Amino acid sequence: MSKTSQAIAEREVALVDLVDRLLGGGVVIAGEITLAVADVDLVHVSLRALVSSVEKARPQEP
Amino acid sequence: MIELLAITDDPVAPPPPLRLVPAGPVAVVVGPAPEGEVDAEALWDRESLLEDLVDERALLPIRYGTRVEDDAAAAAAVVPRGAELAAALERVRGAVEVSVRAITPEGEEAGDVGAVHARLSGLAREHARHDGPEPLRAAYLVDRAGVDVFVAAVRELQQEHRGLSILCTGPWPPYSFAEPR
Repeated sequence: MSKTSQAIAEREVALVDLVDRLLGGGVVIAGEITLAVADVDLVHVSLRALVSSVEKARPQEP
Repeated sequence: MIELLAITDDPVAPPPPLRLVPAGPVAVVVGPAPEGEVDAEALWDRESLLEDLVDERALLPIRYGTRVEDDAAAAAAVVPRGAELAAALERVRGAVEVSVRAITPEGEEAGDVGAVHARLSGLAREHARHDGPEPLRAAYLVDRAGVDVFVAAVRELQQEHRGLSILCTGPWPPYSFAEPR
């Protein structure tokens, strides 16, 4: 993998972790949650697809 | 509408456009509610705001997308939970969250994620395993001063467990340890 595509893959790996935390973590406080459930599902679906593509793209290291 | 970003007990004002709204023993970091579509860039922007804050103060991130009408509504929503949130701030003070996922590459036998999790838990103040498509999806609350040792342990574990791809990211604000328990 080139340096650039390695960097992109790393950012995508981190995006999975970020979305996991933003949508599933944090203090839950009464208020208007603006993300519609449908949107959240879409995000999850696309990220799960991403996980498997990262897995395939990953070289045999470290 | 304003967006609620984090709970803190540090009285120093955050950089504009963020503001601090006092709420009993704690305070809420609030900002203008962003408009428009949520895409990856918007999520990273929000994350970088929190990362700047967490470098200098103990904070508990608030669930993404939490909005209220105004400052009074923000205080009213947080004050009833002030004592438990203050206690939660003590739990995370001086620590950051590190994320670890272990993936079994296609065609390989599943590695021993239990051993990985046990070793890393021993280096963390607290740990939390999450459901996910991977054999291991976990968060570890690690002392700032211990992050290098933790990452070194992840590298060693990767060498010992060739059947796993270990993906480690962070340090994150303590998203997975923000709710009192």
